[in-house]
Amino acid sequence: MAEEKFPINIWVNEERYEKLQTAGLADMCEEMLAGLKVIRVYANSEQRDKILKVFPTAKFDSATTKSIELLPREVKDAIFAKVVEKKNIEILEEFLGQY
Amino acid sequence: MAEIGHGGKEIVERILGPAEAVAKTKGLKSVPVRSQIANELIDIAYGWFTPLEGFMGKADLDSVCKKMRLTNGAVWSIPILFDLSEGEVSDNGIKEGDSLLLTFDDNPMAMFEVEEIYNYDKEEMCQAVYGTTEDKHPGCARTYQYKDTFLGGKITLVNRPKINPPYDPYFIPPLEMRKRFKGKGWERIVAHQTRNVPHTGHEWLMKGAWFQAYAELSIEKPLVGVLVNAIIGAKRKGDYIDEAIILTHDELRKAGYFGDHNHLTSLTFWDMRYAGPREAIFHAMLRTNLGLTHHMYGRDHAGVGTYYGAYDAHHLLATVQDELAITPVYSMNWLYCPHCGEITSEGLCNHRDEWQMFSGTLIRSIVQDGVKPPRLIFRPEVFDLVMECAEKYGFGSPFVTDEYLEKRTPVFNIPPLST
Repeated sequence: MAEEKFPINIWVNEERYEKLQTAGLADMCEEMLAGLKVIRVYANSEQRDKILKVFPTAKFDSATTKSIELLPREVKDAIFAKVVEKKNIEILEEFLGQY
Repeated sequence: MAEIGHGGKEIVERILGPAEAVAKTKGLKSVPVRSQIANELIDIAYGWFTPLEGFMGKADLDSVCKKMRLTNGAVWSIPILFDLSEGEVSDNGIKEGDSLLLTFDDNPMAMFEVEEIYNYDKEEMCQAVYGTTEDKHPGCARTYQYKDTFLGGKITLVNRPKINPPYDPYFIPPLEMRKRFKGKGWERIVAHQTRNVPHTGHEWLMKGAWFQAYAELSIEKPLVGVLVNAIIGAKRKGDYIDEAIILTHDELRKAGYFGDHNHLTSLTFWDMRYAGPREAIFHAMLRTNLGLTHHMYGRDHAGVGTYYGAYDAHHLLATVQDELAITPVYSMNWLYCPHCGEITSEGLCNHRDEWQMFSGTLIRSIVQDGVKPPRLIFRPEVFDLVMECAEKYGFGSPFVTDEYLEKRTPVFNIPPLST
């Protein structure tokens, strides 16, 4: 059975979209919920548990979306910066390595 | 004509006029109360907690824990308790038969006729009410924070709370609420329980419940209303601020997504216990007393974590349905389907692989990221008002912060007692 993955939704505001365009990564955005741009970085269950422990404000929406939400804005900015730097969404292991 | 509330008992406001209050409270021992107890004093005195006339004695508490009923047989699911430490009881020389003056904001609030002083095993209470004794369950945590001695007896408000703006229009006690419903000509009113700023999933929950409640009634004139009943109580960091919750719900009416003919926003003071199924029963009792005929229940109503199954509340409600004067309206999830290009119900749409679920938590995450959600998901009037509330009431944030907790305007104050 495939390992279950849990997304962290990085909602793309104008500032983030500009950075993606500059890096030639605008195509990395998915569209969700009637026009919202989002980059989805996926965590496995172990990474999810670590995120919830390291960032106590974060919440796993187990009932509805199965996504990890309410990470502090600066943490999401840092994840986003790592995605732009690596030009890839597979950055969580490296990102969490610093915690 | 008498207004009959939960348990078949008449709703009576237990509130003294100023002159009588001054006379009756003269010389009484004063005991200050915390906000949870102040909230419950208001709930008891105005009739939200009918048939309760005060804080529970041991027999009622035991019966609620073991049978989910008061000793008079009425269904009741959550203990309503007044606690003091043994030291506070002995230092103040409090004994059964005393009358106490309960104060809040250093001003007289209620008279408490102490009928009984007793102890009760808190773990036993938690297991019975919450189905667990774990202190990470917020209801258990609240129970363990009670001091060790409980006092039961009737209460009477001696001083009405002053509800502060912007909450004041939304404080509509049971007797007044029932008059409003009559004035609107509503024959059925369905409750929407909330502690959230509404996204369109909530809006469609309400609209769906409105359709369900309407059923066979005549459509020649408006006969069904939705009552948004926001729970106002203890806040946690990261929650939406209370001002944003109550004002945005009313904004759905003002901005025309609903109208005066089918929508009303109100508040109830209550510190959520997150008791899941038992809290669902409790909400039914509160809203019965407010005069509602129907109550919306979604999945995991008033639950927390993984303590309760998605439909446990529905199953427990079914066991006492014949004794409740309110009809449950069960609601499926609403979601966005890009194929349909609209918000739809999981019970209707069959583009299952394309469904995009959203929740209050997800919307909070979008707002936190500085993004304005599309109008299909979050009404622009609601978004703009959330941002306005952040500036006006939230010290720059629409979410509860330490600064908000420290400096916010209280929802109510108790003024000095004067004739």
